[in-house]
Amino acid sequence: MTIHTEPLKSVSDIERTTLMTFLPGRIAAVFGGRRWRSLAPLAVLVVLCLLIAIANPNFIELRNLVRLANSAAVPLTLAMGLTFIILMGSIDLSVEGTLSVSAMVVVLLAANDSNGNDYGWWAVLAAIVAGTAMGFVSGLVQTMLRIPSFMATLGMWFIGLGLSVYMLGGSAIRLNDASIRDLALTRFLGLPLAVWVATGAFLLAAVIQYHTKLGRHILAIGGDEDVAKLSGVNVVRVRVTAFALAGFFFGIAGVLAAAQLGQSHAVIGDGRLFAAVTAVVVGGTALTGGEGGVVNTLIGVLIVTVLANGMILLGISPYIQQTVQGLMIIAAVALSLDRVRLRIVK
Amino acid sequence: MNEALSLRRIFEGKWTQGAIPLVLLVALLLIIEIAAPGFLTGETVALLFANTAVLFILATGVTFAILLGGIDLSIQAVASLASVILAQLLPSLGLAAFPVAILSGLAFGTLSGIVHVKLRVPSFVATLATGGVVTGIALWVSDGRAITIEEGGRENTAWINATVAGLPVVVLISAVIGIASFLALRYTRFGRQAIAVGAGEPAAWAAGINVDRTKIIAFAASGMLAAIAGVVLAARLSSGSPVLANQLLLPAIAAVIVGGTAITGGLGGVARTAVGALIISIVRIGMTFVGVNIFLENMVFGAVLIAAVAITIDRSKIAVIK
Repeated sequence: MTIHTEPLKSVSDIERTTLMTFLPGRIAAVFGGRRWRSLAPLAVLVVLCLLIAIANPNFIELRNLVRLANSAAVPLTLAMGLTFIILMGSIDLSVEGTLSVSAMVVVLLAANDSNGNDYGWWAVLAAIVAGTAMGFVSGLVQTMLRIPSFMATLGMWFIGLGLSVYMLGGSAIRLNDASIRDLALTRFLGLPLAVWVATGAFLLAAVIQYHTKLGRHILAIGGDEDVAKLSGVNVVRVRVTAFALAGFFFGIAGVLAAAQLGQSHAVIGDGRLFAAVTAVVVGGTALTGGEGGVVNTLIGVLIVTVLANGMILLGISPYIQQTVQGLMIIAAVALSLDRVRLRIVK
Repeated sequence: MNEALSLRRIFEGKWTQGAIPLVLLVALLLIIEIAAPGFLTGETVALLFANTAVLFILATGVTFAILLGGIDLSIQAVASLASVILAQLLPSLGLAAFPVAILSGLAFGTLSGIVHVKLRVPSFVATLATGGVVTGIALWVSDGRAITIEEGGRENTAWINATVAGLPVVVLISAVIGIASFLALRYTRFGRQAIAVGAGEPAAWAAGINVDRTKIIAFAASGMLAAIAGVVLAARLSSGSPVLANQLLLPAIAAVIVGGTAITGGLGGVARTAVGALIISIVRIGMTFVGVNIFLENMVFGAVLIAAVAITIDRSKIAVIK
């Protein structure tokens, strides 16, 4: 096998060169190796769009594209926040809890059918602050109590969910504030305002990742935390800030979700965590941290949304849509992960 | 000065670290007994064990994956599929439906392992994806509905709900599984190798361990135990459904971690998972017993979870806490 032709490869590379791992690698190598492999998610997206468009031309109708953008708005905003956490090599499972808290706050403080509050856009601000606070607490719990983010944010998930269900009294409460509902109903240049908000979130995340010290430090921690610490990065502060930043994005997503649904209820966040993780990973950000970024995540969100939309257009039974989605995740990740640089796959 | 030092040494000793979850378990029991006297009776304890059985079997399976440094997010899907298969096949196959359902778990567990190892997809994503695949199959097989196990089928599941010598059969089943897994991890080559891989994969590889095979076996075991949990759950509820076990994934993982198994792998075991599963179960049942507002239960549970992990986790073996 290739072991003899590449005697200088490190041990861990040779260790993994079995036939099965060999094939995806070879396919990528045919297209030009590492440089091109980072484009694999984009290629998957393009191929997916082409296949769906050929099978059902309705896919590229303007109406469907608007629908597509609209259904990508909340997942994109969520995934922006999650990307920073995964870039650090951590995970944030509190996505659904934080989103439901933010949706609960905006619905209860703005005009609604349960109490007399009518604070208008102050409610939106309060919801985003609540999301940020949840993230901030997650970060503090993780760094100060020194427990893995997996467990810290799992706890925060339950706390957030419990809090919002308690405040909502276990029922669904309608959002009656017209100006907040306009986020989903009013269009600007043909697209709902929620899509523009999500685009803004993406631009903000891109600026943070590529043009601020925080973004660099997050990447450094994900690459190697010990090295980052020795280089003078205040790891605790960066981690807490990153979790608060993620909470900020989840808070915005909660407002968008409440505006789109016109109400808030106990299960407003259901299924959003795994959808967001899937989008981040399919986009090519490694769960081990230090690789990928918000642009990858944008592509990942589009892949997941286009796939879901396409399966509906193609009339695939809703029961096996999950199966198809699972297979697609495996294929996309197997194609795009740059395994040569991943020493251990856990 | 000297005393403080020796006290500190005791607390840093290996055995205390392992005993902390057990101490927490006893403390929780006492707190609930004080808050609501009458909790610690034979009847409630038997009920507690019976209610913990399914969670414990699931958690035991995922312990294998976590010990390796991986994770299995497909257990709830595999358990639900097994419940659907059991409910579907009981009328036609009778008792033979049990092995079919359990083997389906073994098959999908192995599949997860192969996807993870051979395609080199991280286990978090690989099992998330296979979980989606399995859920899709369960929805398709059951046509998206819950299937009730009718009178005829219930004859064949009655034995699971029976009691032997005062102990519910589910408790005996989970005890057998717990002991078998404990022995497998501690006294077999596979068990030792699994812990070695979790503690340091490159070193384990260099020592000649077949890392890939160890991982696939661990994921196969996780799938099979998940299917057993699904079968037991279906028999207890007399129903199979594609979402039957969906609420059990996170509590199962939480049970493993609260018990003191490191999420980074290489440290922990089934005995710790048993303690962790009991802690989770007691917190859940205790809240009802003490009378916590039902809407607040999740909040209390989350806070207790964070506190429990903060107390029980063994930080000396984790270099970087991510």
